Amino acid sequence: MFDQAVGDVHCRFPVEAMSPKLTPYLLVAPLLAFIAVFTYIPIFTSIDLSFRSWNFMSPDMPFVGLDNYARLLGSQSFWNSMSVTTIFAVVSVPLRLALALAIASYLKREAASSRVLRGALFLPTITSTVSIAVVFSWVFSTDYGLANAFLSALGLGKMPWLQDPTLALLVLILINTWKQLGYDVIIYIAGLQAVPQELYDAAAIDGGKRWQVFRRVTVPLIMPTTYFLLVVSVIEAFQVFTIINVMTRGGPAGATDMLVHLLYRTGFVLFDIGTGSALAVILFALLIVLALLKSRIVGSKVHYEA
Amino acid sequence: MKLKDKGLSALAIAAGIVFLSPVLYSIWMSFQTAQSYYTGGFEPTLGNYATAIGQYNFARYLFNSLLVSGLVTIAGLAVATTAAFAFARFDFKGRDLLFGLVVATLMIPSHITLIPNYLTLARAGLLDTYAGLVLPAISNGFAAFFLRQYIRGIPKALDEAAYMDGATPLQVLWRVIVPISRPAIFSMGLYIFLGEWNNYIWPLVAVGKQDLYTLQLGLARLYSINPGEGLIDWPLVMAASTITILPVLFGFFLVERHLVRGITMGAVK
Repeated sequence: MFDQAVGDVHCRFPVEAMSPKLTPYLLVAPLLAFIAVFTYIPIFTSIDLSFRSWNFMSPDMPFVGLDNYARLLGSQSFWNSMSVTTIFAVVSVPLRLALALAIASYLKREAASSRVLRGALFLPTITSTVSIAVVFSWVFSTDYGLANAFLSALGLGKMPWLQDPTLALLVLILINTWKQLGYDVIIYIAGLQAVPQELYDAAAIDGGKRWQVFRRVTVPLIMPTTYFLLVVSVIEAFQVFTIINVMTRGGPAGATDMLVHLLYRTGFVLFDIGTGSALAVILFALLIVLALLKSRIVGSKVHYEA
Repeated sequence: MKLKDKGLSALAIAAGIVFLSPVLYSIWMSFQTAQSYYTGGFEPTLGNYATAIGQYNFARYLFNSLLVSGLVTIAGLAVATTAAFAFARFDFKGRDLLFGLVVATLMIPSHITLIPNYLTLARAGLLDTYAGLVLPAISNGFAAFFLRQYIRGIPKALDEAAYMDGATPLQVLWRVIVPISRPAIFSMGLYIFLGEWNNYIWPLVAVGKQDLYTLQLGLARLYSINPGEGLIDWPLVMAASTITILPVLFGFFLVERHLVRGITMGAVK
């Protein structure tokens, strides 16, 4: 009770006067404990394990220095994963952004029709990825799939969608685009709605054609949103796992073996904890650079105020 | 003008149906027999659902998904709300640093924690338990951040009035902050629930016993044990897939606006 005398700030907490200074720490403690145990300590554990040789079973885990990194960087499967992941990002990200901006320009009006379509576009982003993977496995199955039925109806031959290395990666890119498009559209709509109408009116008075207005007014003003989505979708491309695990298991012949899938295989199928951890550390370093870029974009607060 | 609007709406609905056609068709397919699917006829049946639930344990998976996502949501909200309250309302040493640590988790890809968290739970004997599924998912930096922003927007005079009346901080949190923050808490609850419902990689590594499978694991496994091209029982797989997505679809139509707001906010701030 003597704490009440310390200052009038504390007088406001008479019942907890025993420990008013402790109160905020007690309130944040549970969250921080979970974060420490399941997020921060694991980062250091991963780094530590990446310098050791271990298979989950053996009683000792000898220190092997940079061996795991050397093995990884010298392995064909790592560079295959890097290139597959890069191709995935380079193809899927511009595709997503271009489609999303085009669609958002039409759907930014507050009309019943655009609300319906926004809802439809948004649905896949919250739908189970495993379900989507299963449904599209059927769509792209060779003999009874929707895609080949469509080709047949056009008088074209069947395609071995998931058996051909190039086509399989393309199919995964399309599915990922289909799933994520709604998110991009919604973010773009929010960005577009923040562009002052006067700018469009001025451009219209100057006799700008629709396409010109889009290119000269919309595209530059929406640039901060584009940067944001660019970084978000590249980060996302580097973390694709579920559709691969369900649909292709990285095949055919490693054609869809993206980085997180390689990490899963190395750690939980081959039980090579050291190399798996080295890969986790490399992936972490790559993604943290991208995440810092993203936070700079968001932090600059130009996002919705262009 | 009116007519044009109606035309546009019809067009929008048509475009939406085309966009969603793979999923819509999979739901339709789940109500026909495998035989009629392969021979081109249509025999309506609920048999695929009966098989998925009876023979393939999908009732159990549904229960597991509801339990795990529910627990993660409740615990995640409790932990995030109390922390958000402290970060928004108290001035304490190290506050900014600690809050920075919470926000920084948003940048940390979950995959670096995959192997270490597996080891932590293995050492604690929690692999193949509900606790093993729930515990690593409880901390949610985004929810804590979002709720702190929201609470900062609540006039401080309300807290102060309650303190004057002799309330403790926990009472202020429960009686003043939480009721006012209900929309934000609701949005975050949905966000956490959905994320956990659709979580795949963590249950995949943390659970081997089929009795603990979530719907995502059960569906992936059902599909993988029945892969023979041409022979696969697609209507059965689609029934399982529909069980997996339907609860989320129902929720979506109830609360679309909340969800969209939560997700847009994530990008703004």
